[in-house]
Order: sequence, then C-alpha cells, then structure tokens
Amino acid sequence: MTTIFENLPVDAESLPKVEDINFKSIEKKYLRVTLIASGIFWFVLILGYLAIAHFSDMEKTPFNYLIGSGGVFLLGTFNFIMTILGFKKKKYALRQRDILYTKGLLWHVRTSIPFNRIQHAELKQGPLERMYGLHSLKVYTAGGQTSDLVIPGLLEETALAIKDFILGKTAADGDDTES
Amino acid sequence: METTLNPDFSSPRRQSKVAMGIILIKFIRMTIRSFWPVLLSFFIGGRNNSSFDEWLGYLAIGFAAFNLIGSILTYFRFYFHIEKDAIVIDKGLLKRTHTNIPFERIQTINFKQNILHQIFNVVSVEIDTAGAKKSEISIDALKKDEAEAFRAFILAEKDQIIAENAPDLEIAEETVPEKEERILHLTPQDLLKVGVSQNHLRSMGIIFAFVFTTIQQFTDDFTDTVTDQVTQYDSLLPDNNFVLFLISAIIVLIISFLFSLINTVLKYYDLSLSINKNGLKIVRGLFNREEISINKNKVQIISWSENPIRRIFELFTLQIEQASSAEASQLKSKIRVPGSYMEQVTRVVTTVFPAEFFRDEPQFGVSKHLKHRLFFYLGIVPTIILGTILYFNVEWQALYALLLLPAVWYMTTLYQRKRSFELNEELLRNNSGVFGNAHDLMQIHKVQAVRIKQSWYQRRKSLATVQLFTAAGHLSIPFIDLELAQELENYILYRAESDSREWM
Repeated sequence: MTTIFENLPVDAESLPKVEDINFKSIEKKYLRVTLIASGIFWFVLILGYLAIAHFSDMEKTPFNYLIGSGGVFLLGTFNFIMTILGFKKKKYALRQRDILYTKGLLWHVRTSIPFNRIQHAELKQGPLERMYGLHSLKVYTAGGQTSDLVIPGLLEETALAIKDFILGKTAADGDDTES
Repeated sequence: METTLNPDFSSPRRQSKVAMGIILIKFIRMTIRSFWPVLLSFFIGGRNNSSFDEWLGYLAIGFAAFNLIGSILTYFRFYFHIEKDAIVIDKGLLKRTHTNIPFERIQTINFKQNILHQIFNVVSVEIDTAGAKKSEISIDALKKDEAEAFRAFILAEKDQIIAENAPDLEIAEETVPEKEERILHLTPQDLLKVGVSQNHLRSMGIIFAFVFTTIQQFTDDFTDTVTDQVTQYDSLLPDNNFVLFLISAIIVLIISFLFSLINTVLKYYDLSLSINKNGLKIVRGLFNREEISINKNKVQIISWSENPIRRIFELFTLQIEQASSAEASQLKSKIRVPGSYMEQVTRVVTTVFPAEFFRDEPQFGVSKHLKHRLFFYLGIVPTIILGTILYFNVEWQALYALLLLPAVWYMTTLYQRKRSFELNEELLRNNSGVFGNAHDLMQIHKVQAVRIKQSWYQRRKSLATVQLFTAAGHLSIPFIDLELAQELENYILYRAESDSREWM
C-alpha cells in the first residue's frame, strides 16, 4: 500500500490521514437558501418563456410549445433534485494545520488548504442568507481565483470562530518563519 | 553604502528629457485606442460632406495639441526620489498623487525599452510591489546607467533591511557568488531554429481569428462579398477545385510560417538568460526590449517541453512560472525561454530549486481508463456528430468520418503512455505529451491547495484526479488510484504545513 513512500524519508502510516477525518455538515437552513435562489431563477425563466409564448404565434405550433415547456420543467425538476441530493455532500473540516471542504454529487471534489498558505479570509452574506442568519466563509490564497475556497451555510458564531482560528493560525505561522 | 550613490536620488527629480517624447507616444496610443471608433466614423461617415475636410483638420489639430500639452505637463509634474528607505513618487496633472513605496515591499524592478528608448539609451523602470491590487509603478524614462544605479542601490538597501530583521536566515544566502553569470544567449542560428520549429498551426489560428474579427467589424456582409468573388471563378474552374484548394493551403502555410518566424524574432531577439544571487535575469526583444528579474523564492513551476521538430535540434522551450502580486501582470507570471538546450534547463532548475533533488525517480503511470475516457470524448463523440452531419449532406461518404477513430486512438494511447509523475521529498515532476514531451517540475512545499476530484465514472473504477495549486498555476495528475491519490494528498499537505521556508 505504501507505494509512493518507498523512496521518501517518511512513513506513510504516521502521516495524518484526510480520509479519517470527521467532516461536519453545513447548516440545514442553507438548503432552503439555495432552493429559494434556484426557485427564483426558474420562476424568472418560466416567466420569460411564457412571455415569448404569449407574444408569438403559438396557435400555429402548439406542439413545439408543449415540448419547450416540458423541457424547461424537466430541467428545473432535475436541478432541484440534484440540489437536494447534493446538499448532503457539502461538508467541511478543520484540522490543526489545514481546512478542508468537500462537495459534489456526481463529481466529488475535496479541497484542502494549509493555514500557512492562506492570504486572507472573510465572511460574506447575501440577502437570502441574511434572512436565515447564515454566512459564507471565503478563504483567499495567492495567485488567482482558482484555488480560493468558499464554505457556505455557516452560523454567525461558527463562521466567526473559524475565521479567527484561521487568521490566528496564519499569523502564528508567519511569526515562525520570521524569527 | 548610502553615500556612495553616484547620481543623487535624495532630492525630488524629473525623468530624463526623452520622457516627454515617450509619454507623448503613450498618450497618442491611448487616445487612439479609446477613440478610434469615433475617429473612424468621422472618416468614413463624413466622406460626402464638403465641410468634412475642414472638420477633420480641426479635429487633428485639437487631438495633437491635447496630446502634446498633456504629455509635456505630465512630464513636468512627475517627480521621484528616495527618502528614508522608500521610493517617493509625486505625479498627476489635476489630481496630485503622492506614492510612497518602502523598499521591503518591492518585489522586483524590471526594465523595458521600446524602440524609442533604445535610440536614446533610456529605459522604462517598472517597480513591482507586493500587496495592493494596483501594484505596478513605473517611471517612463531614465538614463540607462542611472536606472541601473537606482536599482542596484534599492535592492542592496532592501537586502540590508531584510538581513537586519532576520539575521540568521539571510546570511547563508550571501555566500552564493555575487557575480552575474550568463548561461544562455540565443544566437541568430538558434533564433532561426526556434522560429522554424514554432507551432505553425497556432499562428494559423491567430491569423484566421484576426482576419475574421477585423473583417467582421468593417463589413457585416462579408460572406456575401466572398461568395460573389468566388462564384465569379466558378465558370472558369469547373473541376479544378482541388488545385484551388492546394494553392490556398500553401499560401496559408507560408503566411503562418512567416508570421511565427517574425513573431519569434521580434520577441526573442538577442535573448539572454543569466543567473545571479537572487535568481534569474532575462533580457529579450528587438523593438520592445524588456528585462525581467525572477526571484528564486517566487518560482513555483518550471516546465520544459519539446515538439518533434525541436527534438531534431535538441531544443527545449523553458517556462518559468512565478508568483506575481498583481492580477494584471499575468503576462509576467509565465516567462518563456525558447531555444534552451538540456544543459541550460538543468542549470536553471538546479539554480532555482535545491540541486540535489533534481534526479530521476520511479515513474507512476496513470490508469488505462484515462485513455478510454479521452477516446470516448475526443474520438467517438466527435465521430458520431461529424458522421451525422456528413450523412445528411453527402450520404455514404460520411463513412470517412470513421478515419478519425484510429487517429484519436493512436494519439490517446501515446498520451496515456507518456503521462506519469515522479516524486521525492522536495520535488514533484509531471511528464506528458502526445508527439512531443513536456515536463513540469514543482517544489511541493510551495503548494497552497490540494484538490481531489472524482467523477461518477472515476468512482466506479476507484480512481481520482489530483490537482495541486501554487501561487502561479497548477499541476494536475489525472486518473490515478484513489489510494495513491490520498497518499499523495496526505504527504503534500504534510510537506506544505511542516515547511517554514519562504514559498513566494
């Protein structure tokens, strides 16, 4: 099993393992936020569709109209189902030296960022999130957006605690390297 | 050290007088760039108008006066000097700005010369700082020797400040010889080899894109014009379509070839790469000459690659990716040095990264399933789409689309065979390529995020893709065993978290 480590001066068994961590789920309320947000999106889309259907000559091609509305409806339903099923996959974990976040139903993604590589962290809150008292934690790394991390659906005290924890760790590591 | 500075920078001073001309040209380019639709519409729209010529004259005079006055004022309102370990710049026509850059925040100081700079032997100085979004401050023109003294003074002072703050860390680095050593100089022959072995297909793409976008801007009914033109010849050449095609293909090939050759000469003329105590220095270019300094600590990924033509010349393209502070300076974060021999690649790698770790390690290949997936997406799907489209147009000749399958199979097989990674306690190396070979090397403690991805397909085969992000670009290792991926993740996180060396 310890295939890569044969030539490394480290015992693989002794390393902390990401697979063994207990990940915490984000707040259940956040599911409602996402559902409302996509509900609004699909509502606007269907409204637009109806408007087009209304103002164009629908009587001539009622069949096309049916296919179109069916397609939109199916896509919307699919989107809702995926959101609900995928919600369980959104989990985060804090370790002594890094922060981890997993997501994705069809495509699993797990991102880990060491504290000593974090540039900056901040809390964000959209209007819907504010209604439910939730925050998103955004973690910035150097050099572009691709490796930045957003953990949504956190209660204010959790989010603040995590942020302070991260920033404290980042600053502490900075001190280590300076002296 | 502080008193030996030859030209005195301690009191506010202006740039070299040539700056006026250089600012003027910058101004003209800026105004043309922002007003060219207006200018163009005047030019085209007013043709039939009798008073139009008069108008145009006034416009031109106004335009010229605006630029001239603007550039002269800009010149006279720009002051810079050094004050208490910081560069101070005062500038601005109506809104005065006062910028103060402490030495320790300066990352690098780069020189740039366009053709005007070269004629008057001045350079434009670009000061790259850490932190702020808009982190680039430039001085448009300074005499070359003054600029060099300026830079040497600032960098020496900066080193001293850092050394005072962290005595034990920095002194060890001072033992590296201070002298600059030039390790690569692109001779005209090498330049020619590089030009000849460029990716001409890409030039072709650029030319096509350029031609079509420009033409579309001028006439929307371009396609009609072309069809008109082409149909004229239809009667003349009823069955010489093939000859016509061949001739136009050859013309396009020649143009693309010349385009990439000229491009290479303009960009990489008289390229030289040298090593000094902080890292690397690159000077290159014909009309626009630029000098780029690369700090060792900031280098995140070093790549070298070859294509089949380059292999004949034994040339590699070396690419150095460095962390850069500003999003705007994306161009500067990836520095390419074409025409490097293996010896020079090795030299650069061993200078920037710890030399003892640059060695061959056992290679870990990627799963065969990668080939199958790639073949599905790049081979089967396009063949079906292409075949269907062709079938409706030419019926049974659509079977030619099947020829795509063996070609894609061959290429994906090559790719899967060459894709591998090597790892030791300091470096991770990625190997890839289809017809050529490419290698990327990263120092693993510089990784700032690890991402493991699994698609639905990969989960069934218990495979995963690992992505390693650095402050400049990322490497990815696709389709390896999930267990291996997790071991890699654990190890790289451990290395990044336990290493207290500088990483950018």
